[in-house]
Amino acid sequence: MKTQLTKIAFAAFMAAVLLTACSKDKDEVEDNEEEVITTLKLTFTPAGGGTALTYQFRDPDGPGGIAPTTDEIVLAPSKSYDVAIEVLNETTTPAEDITEEIAEEAAAHRFYFQPSAGSNITVSNLNTDGNGIALGLASTWTTTATATGTIKVTLRHYPGNPPGKAAADPIDSPKSGTDIEVTFNTKVQ
Amino acid sequence: MKYLLLLATILVAPSLLFAQNCRYSLSGHIEDADLKEKLAAASVYIRETNSRVVTDSNGDFRFGALCAGRYTLIITHVNCDSVIKIIQLNRDEHIDLRLPHSLQTLGTVVVESRKGRENSGFKKELSGQQMEQTRGSSLAEALSRINGVTMLQTGSTIAKPVIHGLHSSRILLINNGVRQEGQQWGNEHAPEIDPFIAEKLAVIKGVDELKYGSDAIAGVILVEPRSLRNEPGYNAEFNTGWATNNRQMIFSGIWEQTLKKIPAFTYRLQGTFRKAANAATPDYRLNNTGAEEKNFSATAAWQKKMFRTELFYSRFETSLGIFTGSHIGNITDLQNAINTSRPDPVFTGQDSYRISRPYQQVTHQLVKSKSVLLKGAHKFNLSLAGQFNHRREYDIVRSSSNSRPQLDLSVNTFSEDLNWEHPRTNNIAGTLGISLVQQRNHYSGRYFIPNYNTYTYGAYWIEKWSRHRWDIQAGIRYDYKTIDTRRLKYNGDTLDHNFNFSTVAASFNSNFRASAAWIFNLGISLSRRAPYVNELLSDGIHHGTATYEKGSIELKPEQSLSLHSGLQFRNHDGKLNAEVLLYANFIRDFIYQQPMPENPVLTIAGAFPLLEYRQTDALLSGMDLSVDWDPAGPFRLSGKIAILYGYNRIARDWLILMPANKLGSEISYVLADKGAFTGNSLSMEWNWTDRQRRVPDAGNGSQDYKVPPPAYQLINLQASSTISVSQRPVTVGIGVRNLFNTRYRDYLNSMRYFADEMGRNISFRLKISIEKNQRDKSISKH
Repeated sequence: MKTQLTKIAFAAFMAAVLLTACSKDKDEVEDNEEEVITTLKLTFTPAGGGTALTYQFRDPDGPGGIAPTTDEIVLAPSKSYDVAIEVLNETTTPAEDITEEIAEEAAAHRFYFQPSAGSNITVSNLNTDGNGIALGLASTWTTTATATGTIKVTLRHYPGNPPGKAAADPIDSPKSGTDIEVTFNTKVQ
Repeated sequence: MKYLLLLATILVAPSLLFAQNCRYSLSGHIEDADLKEKLAAASVYIRETNSRVVTDSNGDFRFGALCAGRYTLIITHVNCDSVIKIIQLNRDEHIDLRLPHSLQTLGTVVVESRKGRENSGFKKELSGQQMEQTRGSSLAEALSRINGVTMLQTGSTIAKPVIHGLHSSRILLINNGVRQEGQQWGNEHAPEIDPFIAEKLAVIKGVDELKYGSDAIAGVILVEPRSLRNEPGYNAEFNTGWATNNRQMIFSGIWEQTLKKIPAFTYRLQGTFRKAANAATPDYRLNNTGAEEKNFSATAAWQKKMFRTELFYSRFETSLGIFTGSHIGNITDLQNAINTSRPDPVFTGQDSYRISRPYQQVTHQLVKSKSVLLKGAHKFNLSLAGQFNHRREYDIVRSSSNSRPQLDLSVNTFSEDLNWEHPRTNNIAGTLGISLVQQRNHYSGRYFIPNYNTYTYGAYWIEKWSRHRWDIQAGIRYDYKTIDTRRLKYNGDTLDHNFNFSTVAASFNSNFRASAAWIFNLGISLSRRAPYVNELLSDGIHHGTATYEKGSIELKPEQSLSLHSGLQFRNHDGKLNAEVLLYANFIRDFIYQQPMPENPVLTIAGAFPLLEYRQTDALLSGMDLSVDWDPAGPFRLSGKIAILYGYNRIARDWLILMPANKLGSEISYVLADKGAFTGNSLSMEWNWTDRQRRVPDAGNGSQDYKVPPPAYQLINLQASSTISVSQRPVTVGIGVRNLFNTRYRDYLNSMRYFADEMGRNISFRLKISIEKNQRDKSISKH
């Protein structure tokens, strides 16, 4: 009986040693490689030349934490601008340019622009994907008289295979889901 | 309709074929094998007829009016190991049985049945034929057949048990004697256990909780495998199933053997494969709701008279599809999905086994060693266990080239438990134990909970006194837990938070057998649960509900004072059984999620409603009532009611996500045996679930996107028969769930925002058992 007691104690000891050894495994290292979209940057180049303007939504630490900043888009009246969109992940150094990936998978992405009534901004001339359907990484914004308002910029992404993107798809099409939905205040002055 | 006709034929035909021939009796005499004393108050249960008698003071028992056929007898006694005996009844029979004394053979794996007295507190079980009927369903679905237990679901694939309104980290799930440790905090994280491992499922409250932790605020679920063989020979069991709705197929097998040459060594191999395609509601099929499961376990034991050691390994692996129409990019998408009365055709209509994003992939491995040593009348148990849980959640992602999981959590847990059961003296038997747990969690991908290391040190002491008509049991437990957490920020910084918590639990229950007919019991339990890491430190978007969840490092342990009082009635011939349970659980500092409508979290995908973990005082009270009437004829009737009130005492408002009131009844009909067909039974079940009327008031912050769904009722059918094929029992069963293909949604299923529940599902199951005993001395027939 005594030998059995010794055996059990020994087994327990060995197991405890083994378990403790196991539990001190690898050091904690940062291996967070998940895509986070932190920044939506709009660059306005006035038609016919002039200084380019840049306005952005920026949340450098990703969702949560420090609140994001949203610029007010200030444009001159009765003017037309060529707008280029950049989408970035600034949690990494250097920042990851997601714009390229969107351009590569243009048939699975689509930007929508929804200026509020009375903002005196219209968005047209969206660039297209390989099938000739709107993509919106490049567009033309035209202003009229001075006004204040908002504009909502939405990026929808089609997870389907094939994506099944169609020209008539509304912004809330069940075929696509929202990746970006940012509302900027606008001022035409 | 075609199915209905087919079914009606199947159900009715046997009753026309088989004439009644049920006039045999089975009597017997039971002795304690070691003390050679006649054993009074042993329970003798016939699985096939679900009938039970208790031996009288001479150790005798008798069943009358039995049909010819093959029966499984399960004989249990508090001081002995259970014995399972299969007999073939063709005439009046008498059997003599000797039950091995539990202190010497240590046969059962069920922890509490080896103790001098069973837990006299709240206890409800699912076993035998009722358990058989659940083969093919999830663990939570099987448990929900127990009155007072419901399910919290995410679609048809993910379900977790709810006991009296509480779930997740408030329930301890004990898998084969080991406290299950995975990512059980999440509402859409189902238990990682193969239901085919279990021969019996039990829900307990009371002093035996203390063996597993001080934090069993809602109770303990025991998942108990069958006992290993203790005589030379082998046996095998093969189960297979097929269901029509989601084309679910199941194969499960068990092989057990004890070699004649080395009778001390016994082993078991077990495995299950399950695969299901997309599930269909009455009107449409939901895309990406399939599931696949691959499980394996092996047990080996060395059992001598005074020493027994057991090694157990199990691996559970599952992939669970999540309905595509429920994965939400932002709150606008959620509102759009909720506002439609049925899902868009984009999300419905595919009949496929394929699982694509969004889905979960979980593996859980358990290695356990358990040793029992007897020294005189003292008994020592040592259990060492390692659990390795890996959960990966694959969201819908923007880039089609991204094959990574978005949430990737690995948690490894080691636990060591040692206890001493002292011999019964002066009618008192007791257990003293210590338990240690080390746990490490690691994440990659999106942050939701941090990396952490926890260490828990616990000790408990339980004493059970019983004499004449009284059982009185009391116990106390103390745990000290440290949690060191580390979050990895994007810029290489780390954010550390360290916590430590002391929790004390105590429990008292008493049981009084007023007469042969009436039993009263009363229990009081005090439990304390330290906040879980997700409650302290979660910080992120919850895609299933489009909310932003935020933990609070200010949380204190929640403290529960639970009272339960039960009354059992059993008439003189045991044909009428009734049970009522009243309970009230006062929880101080109850941790819950409070919506903060004035502070939405702005992200690049829009604003998400914020939910913050807060504490309040809660009261959960209710009643479970069940009645079982087994008159002399072939019919048997039962009924049950479960009522629950979940109240936030500080906000003076109802708590969210509490199970609605339920009512159910079942009528079963046992057909006479005919030829090779034995144990033929048919049953019809009616279940009604009320609309949940007790929901938080919108004035306290809108907590829900949609009002609770209306009340619904379902009719289910079951039929089974055991056929003897070359002396081997082959059991066939047919079940129909949701017979009338009713459209309904359940308040506790988060899919209620998007889609209806599963429609009619007809399932077929087949069980083949093979057994060969190479030595059999414990039974003799006259």
